[in-house]
Amino acid sequence: MSVVKMLNVVKNYRVGKVEVPAIRGITFSIEKAEFTAIAGPSGSGKTTLLNLFGCLDKPTLGKVMIEEHDVITLSPDQLADVRNQHIGFIFQSFNLIPVLTAFENAEFPLILLKRDNARQRKEKVMDLLSSVGIADLASRRPSEMSGGQQQRVAIARALVKKPDYVLADEPTANIDTKTGHEILDLMQQMNQKLQTTFIFSTHDPQVMRHARRLINIRDGQIESDVAQAGI
Amino acid sequence: MFKLALRNVFRNKRRSFLTGLSIAFAVMVVIFLWTFVSGILVGMFNSYVTNSVGHIRVLNADYLKRETMLPLSATVPDFQRLIATIEKNKDVKLATGRIKFGVLMDIKGKSKPVLGIGIDPQREEAVLGLSQKMVSGRVLSAGTSETVVGAGLAKEQELKIGDTLTVITQTAHGSLSGLNLKVTGIFSLGVASVDNRTFYLSLDQAQQLLDMNGRVTEIFILIKDPDRAVQAATEIVRTLPPGLTAVPWQANGFLFYMMTIIKNLYGAIYAFILLLASFTILNTMFMAVMERTQEIGMMKALGMKEGEIGRLITLEALILGTLASLVGAAGGTLLAYYVSTAGIDYTAAFKQIRDIEIPLAYVYRGEFSWLTIFVGFLLGVLFTVLASIFPARRAAKMEPVEALRE
Repeated sequence: MSVVKMLNVVKNYRVGKVEVPAIRGITFSIEKAEFTAIAGPSGSGKTTLLNLFGCLDKPTLGKVMIEEHDVITLSPDQLADVRNQHIGFIFQSFNLIPVLTAFENAEFPLILLKRDNARQRKEKVMDLLSSVGIADLASRRPSEMSGGQQQRVAIARALVKKPDYVLADEPTANIDTKTGHEILDLMQQMNQKLQTTFIFSTHDPQVMRHARRLINIRDGQIESDVAQAGI
Repeated sequence: MFKLALRNVFRNKRRSFLTGLSIAFAVMVVIFLWTFVSGILVGMFNSYVTNSVGHIRVLNADYLKRETMLPLSATVPDFQRLIATIEKNKDVKLATGRIKFGVLMDIKGKSKPVLGIGIDPQREEAVLGLSQKMVSGRVLSAGTSETVVGAGLAKEQELKIGDTLTVITQTAHGSLSGLNLKVTGIFSLGVASVDNRTFYLSLDQAQQLLDMNGRVTEIFILIKDPDRAVQAATEIVRTLPPGLTAVPWQANGFLFYMMTIIKNLYGAIYAFILLLASFTILNTMFMAVMERTQEIGMMKALGMKEGEIGRLITLEALILGTLASLVGAAGGTLLAYYVSTAGIDYTAAFKQIRDIEIPLAYVYRGEFSWLTIFVGFLLGVLFTVLASIFPARRAAKMEPVEALRE
């Protein structure tokens, strides 16, 4: 079952008077429980692709289908709802809210969803913080944690609402290699345990090896799309 | 959201402190000024009413046209009967007859033009409150040849209790008349123009001096609600014989104009002060939004809507504005209380003013009001929230993709 589909998607950006093509007609889909890396050099279009998957941007042409909804037809608030309900994000720079604790950062998406009461939210958040191995850091603020710990909080935040898929843009770029492997292992564990789809972008070959599906993109087009064993 | 907004306010403590300080200062200044100016207006109004125009005066229509000349030929006849009728009006608190006349006062060889006012001492107690205003001696008694003299006048003429005042003037028929009055008291109403050039005597003595039996130059009226003066005057006119008119205080162009001008001018000043302070909020919130561009992009990515982002920024401004306005209101309360009790003494400034018509008091006190303080606080909060509208909109309208790229 597809969680997200792209159909003949084109994305152009206007730079001054010039239209710059970032994505030049891509068609593919991501299935449930996939652990997929989108790889390519700088400027290849991986971030643009992730932004389109994440409903942070709309295609110039073509369709991005999430649960049979074409995102191009949705208003900004409707797109926000889609992101809120279906998509988790893990950012390169962690992007935790500095004035909130680890617990509060992880809880944030549940507050936006407005579905659970405080007790239910606490249960879900602590469960996930334990799963990512930082339950004892729940009351610490981001400034009191290492990069790896912050990224674990970001993973918990992305997963707490049980999204259809999680997008991770260069999730290990700002942490050391050893910690980066730990983070990728953790993402794999969550993928297998919760059957959550992970889509992450990278240009690091070490990181690519963790993926079970590797999509290579260059100049806005898919160069290759292969299944692999993954580490 | 409240927890996040509260913590964001204290994220940059120094900036929030300085911003809050400017709002607090503005609120404090507004409350202080409002209290003081209200007190000046009330004091000015009361001085004018008490010493000059009353809430309503019944006058001869001819007298009104030539009032500055104090024409004794245009008077109010049968005033006791008129007072009885006027006091039946539900708006009226008190009515009393007065005779105003100009005299040349002669004492120990010195002459001075002063204003003599014949009064009913008992009724006038509710108006002038002379017994509370005596510097020395006592209030004059009705039906006696006694007088009380303004402190400035007494000092200048070297008058003391027990001295005899010889008053020489023209009667209502144009002939010369004189009277010896015994000084029983020296008063200070706190109004330079009254204290320096006025003396009071019993109404019947004034009538005898001026040959005005049964007549007065005006019936001075106090009503329960000064704002109803026009309506009450209209009703009183209907009960008056031809030739007489009832004049509400609003007809005194100078007083009404001055009060309106002062109220409007200071209203604009209050708004200007708060507007200036709100620019610091505008600047602070814009800086906060710019610094948190990536964070705002992240929050939008997580699913926070435009309206929610805008409300978060506005909530931060509301929290800061409320805390700062509370501090400002507290400071303003202290200043308002001080200026309402101690007042500001203008005696030195008005020392040289002898013959000015405007009844200027020596000491002006503020008009302390919890409503003023509450409104000052609310205005501080309101201006802060209004100033946050543009930054909040800026944050709400940010494109998440571009914001995340910062």
